[in-house]
Amino acid sequence: MLKIVVCMKPVPDVSTRLVIAEDKKWIRDQDLTFGPGEADEYALETALRLAEDRGGEVIVVSLGDDRAGRVLRTGLAKGAARAIHLADPLLDGGDEYVTARVLGRAIAKDGGADLVLTGVQSDDLGTGVTGIMLAELLGWGHASVVIGVDPEGDRGTIRVRRELEAGRQEILDLELPAVLTIQYGINEPRYASLKGIMAAKKKEIRVWTAGDLGFGASEVGRAGALYEVNDLLLPEQRSEVRMIAGSPAEAARTLVELLRREARAI
Amino acid sequence: MILIVAEHRDGGFTPVTQELVSLGLRMGQDLGVPVVAAVLGHEVGELARTLASWQVDRVIQIDDPAFSEGSPEPLTAAVETVIKNESPAFVIGGHTSDSMEVIPRVASRMKRPLIGGCLGYERHGDRVLFTRPVFNAKLHMRIVPRGEPPCFVTVAPGTFAGDALETGPGVEPESVAVDVSAVTVRRRRIGTGEAVRGEVALDAASVIVAVGRGIQKAENLSVVRELAEALGAPLGASRPVVDAGWLPRDRQIGSSGQTVAPRLYIAVGISGAIQHLVGMRGAQCIVAINKDGEAPVFKVAHYGIAADLFEVVPELTRLIRELRAGSAAAECFGAGRVSLALRASTGRVRGGTALCGELRG
Repeated sequence: MLKIVVCMKPVPDVSTRLVIAEDKKWIRDQDLTFGPGEADEYALETALRLAEDRGGEVIVVSLGDDRAGRVLRTGLAKGAARAIHLADPLLDGGDEYVTARVLGRAIAKDGGADLVLTGVQSDDLGTGVTGIMLAELLGWGHASVVIGVDPEGDRGTIRVRRELEAGRQEILDLELPAVLTIQYGINEPRYASLKGIMAAKKKEIRVWTAGDLGFGASEVGRAGALYEVNDLLLPEQRSEVRMIAGSPAEAARTLVELLRREARAI
Repeated sequence: MILIVAEHRDGGFTPVTQELVSLGLRMGQDLGVPVVAAVLGHEVGELARTLASWQVDRVIQIDDPAFSEGSPEPLTAAVETVIKNESPAFVIGGHTSDSMEVIPRVASRMKRPLIGGCLGYERHGDRVLFTRPVFNAKLHMRIVPRGEPPCFVTVAPGTFAGDALETGPGVEPESVAVDVSAVTVRRRRIGTGEAVRGEVALDAASVIVAVGRGIQKAENLSVVRELAEALGAPLGASRPVVDAGWLPRDRQIGSSGQTVAPRLYIAVGISGAIQHLVGMRGAQCIVAINKDGEAPVFKVAHYGIAADLFEVVPELTRLIRELRAGSAAAECFGAGRVSLALRASTGRVRGGTALCGELRG
């Protein structure tokens, strides 16, 4: 019976236009739609399949306000057994390190786990290190950028395939407990069924604060972060790029002319 | 001092290592501190001499067969030991699948800041501000590390020019022994593999049309497929399109897919994460069509259209078809137009191949 914890981060829909907040420390996100990070959805699906194949249960954990609560409810609707909601304004604004620390403490308080799965990276900070730091802080092994998980395996181990650069891959055997960070595209995440959504309403959500995890205010969130955000800015455009204006038809015509006469590319 | 953790595989440095050295040397000069490069592995004497030839101030070489077994734990312990011995202000490593198995572990073990995927830095008095991408590179974030050194800085391949390093006679590498025999190893590499190489030779194509998440759904692919056909070009894709299963894996262009350098690259609905850009920015002419005018793809593009692809692309396809039909018709009228017509016809053959590849895929 595997106990699998999946860490899911609420992130804004990054396909929408992002506006930098007045204090320049983050984006204006009040009006944006939030959902689970895309890679986290692959992690959840990996966990649900492993629990089905090897026997076990999935627990989803998320850090944040109501947006995290909604992410957890979608996880429960898809088949997670219960959820842990780390809800405390003190936890807001943390960096990857403090987030890993908070998650580690929560997992320990919940009695540990056999496996912890995260997405390979979040859609906001996108550093791709929280899961690896979590493994280090828990004293566990880990594998990042996982693109395949063996559905079978001896008790106490797991075999995974991870992606390296330039199309190379490697196959690893890991001792449990371990952390896996799951690469985009590893599987096809399921949709929540109506039955699942109804069942989710009866499932347990444990709500913990920083204090419940034994943290003081200075240790977590923005105060505990190991770096300070100076500001957010728009990337500089390449000076050479020629932006072609006009209606779609005009722009297409101008582009074809430029590609023929100037770039001689067609 | 600045400590560079060199990355290597199969007896050679991975391309990011030269970028790390390039950044390290620049920071060393700006901050007036020495630059030390460390190489950890088994039988790395030759690599250590190459590192030294790139004019770093010192080279540390740590040789142990335990480093080549695919387990991050011995490397983590050894890198931590080097840092404790040398007390660097900054530790620079690759933001890659290999190095990122180790560096975040060392950083969190030492409780020190990590700037992941660093794009550059600025010095303001005694403060150093680092820039890194956030929100899929749509925005940049400037960060100031807090607390005691070191600060860890990782660099994604393709961020800095690494090919301009001066070489010359280097310092003698220093061999350092670190005993990692007592380190608990929790994972072992049992095999390696290659991703399936596709039937579509994207890297041989002179024109490529590539499609990204902006296409929204598989049913919309015909819009870009028609443009590709008109140009006689194969259809490539950014990662999200492949992950969604809309195109086979062999179409993926980027750091985990194929690297291409065609004469013309048309990026349609691709926002331009660094992982994609490193796979295509060698193209001679890059066209980007994306409704978000601030998408990072415009940073590498030569021509950009910030508009709805569903409005622009069909129009573009129509014009290219007209042009091709015109040039084919002109073939019999004079030698001056022959080469263009020939190009168009070979293009069509290539387009046919691409379509077959797609059906097989």
